[in-house]
Amino acid sequence: MRHHRRGRRAARWLAVGVAVAAFGASVPAAGASARHQGSAPGGVLRLSAQEEPYCADWIASCAGLSWGNWALGVHTLPQAFRVTPAGEYVPGPVLAGAPTLSAGPPVTITYPINPDAVWSDGAPITSKDFEYTWKQIVNGKDIYDTTGYTAISAIDTTDPKTAVVTFSEPFAGWRDLFGGFYYILPSHLLEGENRHKAMKDGYAFSGGPWMLEGGAKGWDKGRSITLVPNPKYWGTQPKIGKVVFQFIPESAAEAQALKTGQVSAAYPIPQTGILDEFDQAGLQYQVGSGNTYEAFWLNNEAFPLDSPVVRQALLYATDRQAIVDQIIKPAAREGRVLQSFVVPSFPAYFTPAFAGYTHDLKKVDELMSGDGWAKGSDGIWAKNGKKAAFQITTTAGSEGRELAEQLWQSQLKQAGFDLEIKNASADLLFGRLVPRGRFGAGLYAQVGTPDPGLCVVFCSKNIPTKANGFVGQNYTRTASPAIDASWTAADREIDATEREASVKQGQTALAEDASSIPLYQLPTLFVWDPKKIAGPLQDNVTEGPFFNMEQWSLK
Amino acid sequence: MWKYVARRALASIPVLLLASVLIFLLVREFGADPARQRCQASRDPQCIVRVRAQLELDRPVPVQYLDEMKSFVTGDWGNSLRSDRSVSELIRDAMAETVPLAFWAVVVSLVLAVLVGVTSARHPGSVRDHSFTVLAFAGIAMPTFWLGLLVIQAFTYELQKRLGLSEPIFYSIPNPVSSGMVDSFRELALPVFVLSVQLVAGWSRYQRAALADELHGDHIRTARAKGLSERRVVWKHGMRSSSTSLVTVVAIDAGALIGGVVVTERVFSRPGMGTLLLAALRDGDTAVLIPWMLVAGVAVILANLFADVLYAVLDPRVRLVSGSPS
Repeated sequence: MRHHRRGRRAARWLAVGVAVAAFGASVPAAGASARHQGSAPGGVLRLSAQEEPYCADWIASCAGLSWGNWALGVHTLPQAFRVTPAGEYVPGPVLAGAPTLSAGPPVTITYPINPDAVWSDGAPITSKDFEYTWKQIVNGKDIYDTTGYTAISAIDTTDPKTAVVTFSEPFAGWRDLFGGFYYILPSHLLEGENRHKAMKDGYAFSGGPWMLEGGAKGWDKGRSITLVPNPKYWGTQPKIGKVVFQFIPESAAEAQALKTGQVSAAYPIPQTGILDEFDQAGLQYQVGSGNTYEAFWLNNEAFPLDSPVVRQALLYATDRQAIVDQIIKPAAREGRVLQSFVVPSFPAYFTPAFAGYTHDLKKVDELMSGDGWAKGSDGIWAKNGKKAAFQITTTAGSEGRELAEQLWQSQLKQAGFDLEIKNASADLLFGRLVPRGRFGAGLYAQVGTPDPGLCVVFCSKNIPTKANGFVGQNYTRTASPAIDASWTAADREIDATEREASVKQGQTALAEDASSIPLYQLPTLFVWDPKKIAGPLQDNVTEGPFFNMEQWSLK
Repeated sequence: MWKYVARRALASIPVLLLASVLIFLLVREFGADPARQRCQASRDPQCIVRVRAQLELDRPVPVQYLDEMKSFVTGDWGNSLRSDRSVSELIRDAMAETVPLAFWAVVVSLVLAVLVGVTSARHPGSVRDHSFTVLAFAGIAMPTFWLGLLVIQAFTYELQKRLGLSEPIFYSIPNPVSSGMVDSFRELALPVFVLSVQLVAGWSRYQRAALADELHGDHIRTARAKGLSERRVVWKHGMRSSSTSLVTVVAIDAGALIGGVVVTERVFSRPGMGTLLLAALRDGDTAVLIPWMLVAGVAVILANLFADVLYAVLDPRVRLVSGSPS
């Protein structure tokens, strides 16, 4: 009997042993893998993408997700201008040189197209492609953003390698045209076709260094995007045989995938303690300041925030550095207060307009008393029987934002303001409360762009109202002639120097009006395994950290 | 029996309809606005206007609901409000991910739960029984999300580090560049384990209690008196009658399994039904939510029906008559 039991146990262990051996055979030891990768030309690089693009029809409203551009768009389609890691516009490889701008009137821009630039089927990239893209954007049904394209009156395609774009009115952000989050599309393949249907699930053509492996099949929905080199690309040819972007939405799972080598690079959202983990795993990283920033957005129509003096007093009452120290530093090890609504990542236009607002309670007293406010027995300012009390709302469940609210509440209480925290789901906040002005202050993010136009968020013509169906984006209901003038000019001025001046004036006007309170840029984190990848590895907050993958190689 | 099955299926239709109305209204009233979701970073204020018109979101909510239900019933499930992808394709692809995960989780859980339950029932009060009890309660109490992260840390990173391997034995994310049985196993092992822990913990307790009761029954005493081996007594006579309660629990847990799948798929980055549900909720995508809910609802109803039918097979005393098993 005992003998039989032993026999059964032995059989069980034998089965386990066979299973382990099978694994052992399939899992290489660390050194063996490194040697294999070093000797194989091409190879496969696996990268993490935190979000999957919704669609690849870049001009349709189903696109518009940064990860779509970072993982697929910039690698497969040409853009007139690219944005460097330093936040500067440079002509893309599709152009033979910088476009020339003629002030007119009418304003015209001449794009010289690179004579070597061809699509992946060998057809040349021509001015017809510029024209096709423009027409699709202005005439399409479900277009994400027509800004600037509606100002174009004609595109001269007489010379296939020169696109001459004529404007009906000046458009200052012209360098975002045929670039930004859009791309030049192949007219010879799409003309007369249903563009949306042809592109939304992926496409076989390419005008960049990479192309989807097997066309649309290269996008395995829900799982990955696989890119292979475009053999017809006229610029730097990729050194890696295949790049696979895997969708890993969960931050903790992404960190583990990096640490275990299942992916070799990622662009995660920094979390407290994550850098220590990456240090221990021997990973390299670059922490930066992204172009997404957070602010206490003040509803300029809601009492007591309808008073510029009260808003200025709030700025002096807010110790923004203390908030940055608590919210940003634990995750990114560094953090600085944002002193404008233009982020310093785009240095040409940035001016630290809010730097004068330092934590100063005496200044608060001075401003509030001067405006007829007096502190009651509860220590809260009051005027005409109404207290300086308001609510703040942010996305419920967001730990960092909720902590920032609590810190602000405590700071404002010391300064004599009564702040009530009343959070809501993101859907409710952005779907109803903010567009309809049903909030006092809001804590949420805004995305900065290399082109600094802020009229869309601060000009009075963009205040959402019932009459316009609540579609404007000036959620703070900022209404100031000085702000309107500067930012409207910034949107129309095509002379670079004068535009810079208008943008800086606009930032100063925003600071004087104390329209809202800028807090900090959200940090970015680019992580990679130095044992696996070599090349110029550098974050690019606009185009993503994978923007120059064609220059990378595997170790 | 078929009359019974048909009657039960028909009785489920009003429940599904009511659930679909509630979900539609709640998402439309309190959920994300698909037009705003699509235009959230656009500088063009007219984007929302265009999208609302394109997706016909400017129509009255009851009309939108009726349209979606009509599409569902006629088999044309339309496109996602967020990605424009065909909803039937989205659900088909998601099911292809979730069904193997759920299937293996149920199989593994059933086998383990029966083994643990039988061992405990045969040796009540023993060290083994107490150990299984403690483990079962720990398993029931452990949040799936936390367990998933813990398992990933232990069985991918720590194990790999200790064994000095260049890649982990078990994958914490799907591996799109490999194929074959071994890789599929390495990919599914941890999610199946995580999904199974709570199921094994719960089901083994039911199995233990049911079998412990059965083992004191007259028919077991008779079987032993006839000189049958203990193994035959337990596995043939004891198990057959005690398994009806386990079948009940397994059927009821079909709904709970969907909840576990949502969390497990998120932790292991698997693009299944759970991931699809979370995305649709985030985007206010009722075009996906309603078919998702109806498909999941039908799956739960089928599981319950299957359990009812199985009762009759396992226990000849049960007859399927109008309304419910009796």
